[in-house]
Amino acid sequence: MRIYLDHNAGAPLRAEAREAIELFMREEHGNPASVHHAGQRARRVLEESRAAIASLIGAQARQVVFTSGGTESNNLAIFGTLGRIEGRRRIVTSAIEHSSVLEPLNELERRGWEIVRVAPDRDGRIAPSAVIDALDDRAALITLGLVNAEVGTIQDLAPLAGPIAQAGALFHIDAAQASGRIPVNAASLGCDLMTLSGHKLGAPAGIGALYVRDSSIIGPQILGGPQENGLRAGTPNLLGAIGFGAAARAIAADCGDEAARVASLADRLLARLRASIPGLRLNGSPPFRNTLNLTFPRVLGESMLIALDLEGVEVSMGSACAAGSVEPSHVLLAMGRNPAEARSSLRISLGWSNDAAQIDSAAETIARVWRRVVEAEPVGALNQSAAEALS
Amino acid sequence: MKRERVLVAMSGGVDSSVAAAILREQGYDVVGVAMRLAPDAAGGGPRRRGTCCSHDDFEDARRVAERMHFPFYVIDLRADFAARVIDNFVGEYLAGRTPNPCVMCNREIKFDRLWDRARALEAGLVATGHYARIERAADGRFCLLRAADANKDQSYFLFTLGQAELARTLFPLGNMTKTEVRARARALGLTNADKPESQEICFVPDRDYARTVQSIADRGRIVPGRVVDGDGRVLGEHEGIHRFTVGQRRGLGIATGEPLYVRAISAATGDVTVGRREELMARGLTATRVSMVDPQLCGRDATPIEVKIRYRHPALPATLTMLAGARAEVRFTSAGGGPSVTPGQACVFYQRDEVLGGGFIERAIES
Repeated sequence: MRIYLDHNAGAPLRAEAREAIELFMREEHGNPASVHHAGQRARRVLEESRAAIASLIGAQARQVVFTSGGTESNNLAIFGTLGRIEGRRRIVTSAIEHSSVLEPLNELERRGWEIVRVAPDRDGRIAPSAVIDALDDRAALITLGLVNAEVGTIQDLAPLAGPIAQAGALFHIDAAQASGRIPVNAASLGCDLMTLSGHKLGAPAGIGALYVRDSSIIGPQILGGPQENGLRAGTPNLLGAIGFGAAARAIAADCGDEAARVASLADRLLARLRASIPGLRLNGSPPFRNTLNLTFPRVLGESMLIALDLEGVEVSMGSACAAGSVEPSHVLLAMGRNPAEARSSLRISLGWSNDAAQIDSAAETIARVWRRVVEAEPVGALNQSAAEALS
Repeated sequence: MKRERVLVAMSGGVDSSVAAAILREQGYDVVGVAMRLAPDAAGGGPRRRGTCCSHDDFEDARRVAERMHFPFYVIDLRADFAARVIDNFVGEYLAGRTPNPCVMCNREIKFDRLWDRARALEAGLVATGHYARIERAADGRFCLLRAADANKDQSYFLFTLGQAELARTLFPLGNMTKTEVRARARALGLTNADKPESQEICFVPDRDYARTVQSIADRGRIVPGRVVDGDGRVLGEHEGIHRFTVGQRRGLGIATGEPLYVRAISAATGDVTVGRREELMARGLTATRVSMVDPQLCGRDATPIEVKIRYRHPALPATLTMLAGARAEVRFTSAGGGPSVTPGQACVFYQRDEVLGGGFIERAIES
């Protein structure tokens, strides 16, 4: 029995999503842009899905633009609003965002934009005051994540909407790791744009959405058709959207029970691991969580990750580099951990597919694997200093 | 029945790919790993196909694992490689010697550091695509033997393996020829069946050893000096002894009527001594850091052996006498002696097909 503890990378497909997709595949077909009956039926299910997703975040259906996923949504939010406010060339973000925010901003910096990257505290929290300090009549866009993918920290973003609006800037929230896990309301957060991801909440990969409060603030990045209110050309990923809508309905129906259940499983896992692994440290301290980012004493995270995988427990670490090896998390480094600590850290992220029996089994396996790895391959002083010299 | 787990070091080349595939077919619980070893600036960067650690090579290894249905991981041993192989490589050149980093990589990384990882992953065996054989004698000891394919034999690079290492190591290609390995790869549908061999040292771009040493070593450690002949006459100057190796003919920066070769390099004075070809011949050598595959088998004095003093040199008849402090004296027994005894290179002791052990050349014995 394999135990999947990597929901922040992508959750298993929910049964509701699978059934909705299967039903459509079996009985329907068609392009939602077509005039005929098949097209009209396809359009109806697409719009039902859009409404379900809008409802999950307290938005209107017309404010939801389907994309290919969180990465495209973030790119659309950044590049689609670029230069919309005359004379403003500053973008404010944080050092712990997803690479689909950081890399576009690195590119804009090379093109001459001013990028302000607010540093988090040791727990991964962004101080609202630090963001507000960067707001003046040069600020064009503020883009921040609501729940951090690697440590699970929930940011306090609601206080920012007023000052950002007052400064005349746009506010984008990357909620890819938040929607479906914690209650998210676009209106009460007061943002202009919000990124959503399908497969983080149990829809298939390859579908996402961007909430757009007012379509006059943004232009398309993919041209060639009138789809998605003119903001994203191309026939949408219909099967993905159907799965996304079904997953959103399932989450809405359960009124937060699932989030509480997952958080209690995470607490249970943390308590068991702390009892059996002396010196284990938790990175980040969210009030309500599915994510445990843990620094394991005297081992390489890479070894733990592989050893756990061979034992059937699937977790993750940092991000994969182009070569396919794992790199220390930029989030942990930004939070003040040294490279050796980051190299000894794993991300364990729970979700809808986990139950208590899995968590108890995983806790036992993780502790046993840690003892074996410490014995076989302890991280010594030489190793640590060499690793730091490389970084 | 629980299958025995073996960690297979995969480079993305055809040899290690077939080694992994064979073990998989034999029913082992194969776990493939590709090691990141070279620093990014050298071999690890993108679009450097043909060295042993490029992204393309890792992708080739990954495709083999996908085809043969075993798990595969890229592991990052760059810090260990820098500390245990590259530092040694640089230090040897700066001391006027010519190191063999592949021997050090085998000793320090593939059959030592990787073993720690194997135990962490509950693997009792490590396998590579080396062309060499391991056999168990009737008395239980493990023997390291030349490969069946004499042209591909890599036992020279493996002399540091002792009984403990051989007991936990598999060389699935030891009885195959390169032609057979490629044919097997094609039969298995492996996409890298006809991939050319890598010839470079993975962290030395363009085979430019001098530039690699200069890029890593502090400026103050470079030893410039004079080029002199056997009588002490100064023939020229040079920018650093790390640019020279014993036996080298080209790039001496001096013009003379007859071809001259590097005979000796002194880190103490910076002198590079050159001479005529016949002056390169030595009667023997002393070796340091000597290790024997089976320490019980080493003769006290003048054991007849054959010795290889470079990978691509033929083995020479010699006698081996062990000295104190893990040193040994080797005397060539053929009439002309041996050419180009190069301090720092591995010298490996053979009896017929069996590797007895070896060491690193300390100096030539001239008489």
